[in-house]
Amino acid sequence: MDPSEVEFLAEKEVVKIIPNFSLDKVYLIGGDLGPFNPGLPVDVPVWLALNLKQRQKCRIVPPDWMDVEKLEEMRELERKENTFTPVPSPYYMELTKLLLNHASDNIPKADEIRTLVKDIWDTRIAKLRLSADSFITQQEAHAKLDNLTLMEINTIRTFLLDSLNCMYKLRSNLQPGSSKGQFTDY
Amino acid sequence: MFVTDIRKDFYEVVANQRVALLVAPDIDALCACKILQALFHCDQVQYTLVPVTRWQDLDTAFLEHKEQFRYFVLINCGANVDLLEMLQPDDDSIFFICDTHRPVDVVNVYNDTQIKLLIKQDDDLGVPSYDDIFRDDEDEEGDDSGNESDEGSEPSGKRRRFDEGAVERRIERQRAKREWEARRREILFDYEQYEYHGTSAAMMFFELAWVLTKDTKDMLWWAVIGLTDQWVHDKITHMKYVTDIATMQRHVSRHNHRNEDEENSLSIDCMRISFEYDLRLSLYQHWSLYESICNSCYTSCSFKLWTLNGQKKLQEFLADMGLPLKQVRQKFNSMDMSIKENLRDVIEESSNKYGMKDIRIQTFGVHFGFKNRFLASDMVHAAAALLESTEKEDSDSDNFIKALDSLSRSNLERLHSGIELAKKKLMAIQQTVASCICTNLILSQGPFLYCYLMEGTPDVKLFAKPMALTLLCKYLLKAFVHSTRNKRCKLLPLIMAAPKDVEKGTVIVVGIPPESETSDKKNFFGRAFEKAAESTSSRTLHDHFDTSIIELKTEDRSKFLDALITLLS
Repeated sequence: MDPSEVEFLAEKEVVKIIPNFSLDKVYLIGGDLGPFNPGLPVDVPVWLALNLKQRQKCRIVPPDWMDVEKLEEMRELERKENTFTPVPSPYYMELTKLLLNHASDNIPKADEIRTLVKDIWDTRIAKLRLSADSFITQQEAHAKLDNLTLMEINTIRTFLLDSLNCMYKLRSNLQPGSSKGQFTDY
Repeated sequence: MFVTDIRKDFYEVVANQRVALLVAPDIDALCACKILQALFHCDQVQYTLVPVTRWQDLDTAFLEHKEQFRYFVLINCGANVDLLEMLQPDDDSIFFICDTHRPVDVVNVYNDTQIKLLIKQDDDLGVPSYDDIFRDDEDEEGDDSGNESDEGSEPSGKRRRFDEGAVERRIERQRAKREWEARRREILFDYEQYEYHGTSAAMMFFELAWVLTKDTKDMLWWAVIGLTDQWVHDKITHMKYVTDIATMQRHVSRHNHRNEDEENSLSIDCMRISFEYDLRLSLYQHWSLYESICNSCYTSCSFKLWTLNGQKKLQEFLADMGLPLKQVRQKFNSMDMSIKENLRDVIEESSNKYGMKDIRIQTFGVHFGFKNRFLASDMVHAAAALLESTEKEDSDSDNFIKALDSLSRSNLERLHSGIELAKKKLMAIQQTVASCICTNLILSQGPFLYCYLMEGTPDVKLFAKPMALTLLCKYLLKAFVHSTRNKRCKLLPLIMAAPKDVEKGTVIVVGIPPESETSDKKNFFGRAFEKAAESTSSRTLHDHFDTSIIELKTEDRSKFLDALITLLS
């Protein structure tokens, strides 16, 4: 999967905006978008929020978890635990990037939030790498990882699967006269 | 006619239509175009952008697009000629003109249907009243024909007396008509004699955005650049510039207050516009201080840097401020912080001693990201250099698009390349000025000064473009005024000619008004050139939107000049 595909899926998440125009309810295939009145907050998917923001038709309200203290707590928790802690949102990385690139003037302390989210991401990826490494070296049969987001899974997917395939091939070639000695070249 | 409610009569009319934007090649027009494009993007209005460099281009563009478009928006072109006569449009074409060229042609002012002027009416226009210029002539003809039929029949005594009375009345009417026409010619002559510039087009469109409450900091910055362009290219008076700066300052403080306070500081990537009372040294933050002082018109003319004495004075000046030469010659960003901190005040103090009272000027600066800091005049110089760059591969429209791109925040490499080109241009201007003054190329022809750039002069290709040549002209006049001892010559205007196209044998001629502290920047050369060309039947091309810039065949140069001398003395 391409990271841009994951970002595309992330744009379905719902965020609150404050429009400055009025429009009746809009009926779309994916759902209804409830009537827009200037000054009243309304929930919309991120793709619409960004489009309206670029056309200067709304103000984006940062999600609850996008707050400096909360993110600092999450970062400390993540660093303490060995396993993965629950994430604020299944698409936290993509949402941070999208909202901070397009609407940083609506989000207070945007630079600190960006740094904190990056810290959390780095810690989790480091844990993921360690766990993948131990999985391969100790030739485990199965593993269980909770609280991983799609973006993180996506970063390690290709590598993990390819390396497991290689390990399998090497292992099967070691056993003499094995019937599974088909060696396919990439 | 003038548009009073710009939102209702302009924006809401074009918002649902396809519009053709015809934009002139100056930085103010580019900024206005950017603002309008941003507004159109917000509301998803379909438009076509056509850069037009001269009247012929305007004509061609109109002919190409008149089938598909009903609404045309003209930016910085079209107000000072009778547009309907020139373009011969159909009755349903509507033109919205936002132009800084004055005087506005009277037909454009009084046409109620097809021409809408996006110009503020209190903008010091002085348009003659309708009755002074236009008059119904139908009553006249009815009486005349009545009188003639009377005369045709057999005169009897009674009728003869009646005829005499009628003839007297008719003579009286004809005399009144001749007087009215003479007065009308005089009024029109006075009105159209001087060419000058009004409020920046970018500021007009920013006001439109403000009325629509869609104004952003980007648009505000473009409006500031448009205003600064008028000041850099000496199109408006100092008073007007200061007044307009005050207007912009109100908008800037409104935007700054809205977003930032102690606790919720903005991201560093957000754009911050600030009012600066900064030095009048062109591009000094992107160059070394020394180079900037040598190549800025104001300092170079005050010190007379083309003389040895001038160079010595400059060294004294730098020593007086305590700035070591090594620091001053390196890039501004690498200068010591201790020197940079109080630089402006230190320079102001010292320059007062050397007779430069206005080394500081009110302007605005922008700051976004960690290292991007620009003054409005930097942007103007960069965009102007890109717009008139003489790279061989680029056509005029390519240059236009490049200059337009350099104004957005996301195209910083374009902007930096523009700054490099601008540095080269400023250096070329300085060298040309120095050589002209030192070799006495400026001749006094009586009512004006005249200078001709020979073909072999270095960088003469740069000066085949109107804006660069006008800038050179102004710097040259300032330098001449500082260097000459002849009191009378200091009050003369300057005409400058430079080779434009060697194969076709044409030169480009520019005339600027005399240099003075309180000049009102009114230029009479437009009409003068026209009359001189007519009287000598020289082959001229009055194709630029500024009427004081024309093209002329090289062979006709001398007789054209002689005609001008007789005309103006």
